[in-house]
Amino acid sequence: MNSLSRIYALANNTFREAIRNKLLYMLLGFSVVMISSGVVLATLSYVEVHEILQDMGLAAIRFFSVGIAIFVGIGLIHNEVDRRTIFTILSKPVSRNEFLVGKWAGLTFTVWLLLALMAGAFAIVSLLAGAPLGLDHLVAIVLIGLELMVVVAIATFFSSFTTPMLAALFSVGLWMIGHLSRDLHALGQQSEVGTVTTMANFVFLLMPDFEVFNKTLEAVHGLPIDSGEIGLAFVYAVGYTVCTLILGAMIFSRRDFK
Amino acid sequence: MSHVTDERETIVRVCDVVKDFRPGFGLRRKRILHGVTFDVHENEIFGFVGPNGAGKTTTLKVLMGLIRATEGSASILGCDVAESEFRHQVGFLPENPYFYPFLTAREILDFYARLSGVPASERARRVDQLLGTVNLGHAMDARLKTFSKGMLQRVGIAQALIHDPKVVFLDEPMSGLDPLGRKEIRDLILSLRADGKTVFMNTHILPDVEMICDRVAIIVKGQIRHQGRIEDFLPEAGRKTDVVLGGLPPETADSLGERFDLKMRGLGDRVELQVAEKDVHQVLDSAISAGAEVVSVTPQRNSLEDVFLDAVRAGGAPE
Ligand SMILES: Nc1ncnc2c1ncn2[C@@H]1O[C@H](COP(=O)(O)OP(=O)(O)OP(=O)(O)O)[C@@H](O)[C@H]1O
Ligand SMILES: [Mg+2]
Repeated sequence: MNSLSRIYALANNTFREAIRNKLLYMLLGFSVVMISSGVVLATLSYVEVHEILQDMGLAAIRFFSVGIAIFVGIGLIHNEVDRRTIFTILSKPVSRNEFLVGKWAGLTFTVWLLLALMAGAFAIVSLLAGAPLGLDHLVAIVLIGLELMVVVAIATFFSSFTTPMLAALFSVGLWMIGHLSRDLHALGQQSEVGTVTTMANFVFLLMPDFEVFNKTLEAVHGLPIDSGEIGLAFVYAVGYTVCTLILGAMIFSRRDFK
Repeated sequence: MSHVTDERETIVRVCDVVKDFRPGFGLRRKRILHGVTFDVHENEIFGFVGPNGAGKTTTLKVLMGLIRATEGSASILGCDVAESEFRHQVGFLPENPYFYPFLTAREILDFYARLSGVPASERARRVDQLLGTVNLGHAMDARLKTFSKGMLQRVGIAQALIHDPKVVFLDEPMSGLDPLGRKEIRDLILSLRADGKTVFMNTHILPDVEMICDRVAIIVKGQIRHQGRIEDFLPEAGRKTDVVLGGLPPETADSLGERFDLKMRGLGDRVELQVAEKDVHQVLDSAISAGAEVVSVTPQRNSLEDVFLDAVRAGGAPE
């Protein structure tokens, strides 16, 4: 119970710090512009107006929310060590694990809030353009939320032992692999050489698969979304996040703060 | 006047702590602490002194669990320093403290109070009280990014005490403070001892140590050179006492000068004698029986500075 209240205090403070970052508002504003610009594009083309609009909108939401998650996440732990704010915090009855989880929770909550704001903008734009809006769209956005949770964990993980520059490189790289891994896997399957196929399978197992969080196509084109897949995405997100944070905590607990 | 501390319970125990730093990838290990050992007892003010770069802050970081000792062990209140749960009884002021600049003094103290498990019902009162204690009552709701160095130091002291800890660790508590501020902090540390707390402080300001510390350890190049009660730092024979006498007959003065090894100085109709501690009784007896009036008797403590400088000079490189 005590542990939870400490994590809450840390998360709350991380949230407060994040929302006072002016760059965040710039990125948020820009994302809204991108989401709305779909309308303009849609009026220019004659076919599948709504699909283009919503496709672009959801892509913009994913791109910007993940961008903000990585942008803030890469400095999340590093800056606390660098500015020595962590000294006084760890001198209180706060374990390093609690610290890591508190920072992760605070940023996850922050990006979820931003996601909700972007989703609101998306809904308004869709309504103004007369595009259909249903439960599927909500599902697609909730899945982006799950992806964000994982991305924040990954950025927190890298931030706990390396510089923001490297953390950004690794996080962005891992995120891109996460969205391409299915294609890479499929490519590997086509190889004639057995070892290549086995290796592709192995790499696919190790690499994140973020396409489980991508139901944009289904939502936009009104295709059915399997509820089993949603459940799987949920389990995948929680599992991936927990593993990443445990790994991060293991590395973080061995660090010296000089 | 002096605190008897040696029989008290041990609050902090540092045993053969060795710390190696690797300055960068592939670089040779550098030994910063060479087997540091000392104890801090209950309800004393312990001064940890040493020149710049001696390893004071490094030792304190080991105690705070911020860095892990390469060898040896350290415990506070019987708990290993790697644990965190016992730290609700521990306060820490780091060297040049820095806090989230976007928070106000009140917000940051509330944050630390939450982390330390101060009950919600007491938090606001504790925060106000402590900001008053460190004289920041006027700046409670200002963002920390507008604070001066000395003001941040005061915030640091307040957060170290926010949860009413049993043991307080202070790294250079007087740094950045004006003369009045230094006196306030000295008084604050003394009041902590009066409340039964134990205080460990790192410093290189020796007069402060002489004024308030009960025991001292001197660290030079990562090794403890001296440790003990502040009174014990001077060899017995070296101690002098200043005796001021009024109406001392000149012939008595002469005979005293012959019998004892002392320095004499006239102060108007009074005489000041610098007497070796062992002779004080006899000198006073002779003076009083000769009809002199005793104005004052002041034991003179040689400055800690001498011991300190000797320790630093004696310390060749331990490599
Ligand atoms: N991050 C670090 N990496 C490598 N060496 C370090 C690091 N920090 C400190 N040192 C070395 O450790 C030694 C002890 O430093 P420490 O900060 O403990 O000294 P100090 O006694 O607190 O000095 P001061 O009075 O200046 O605060 C110094 O020689 C310093 O060069
Ligand atoms: Mg220091």
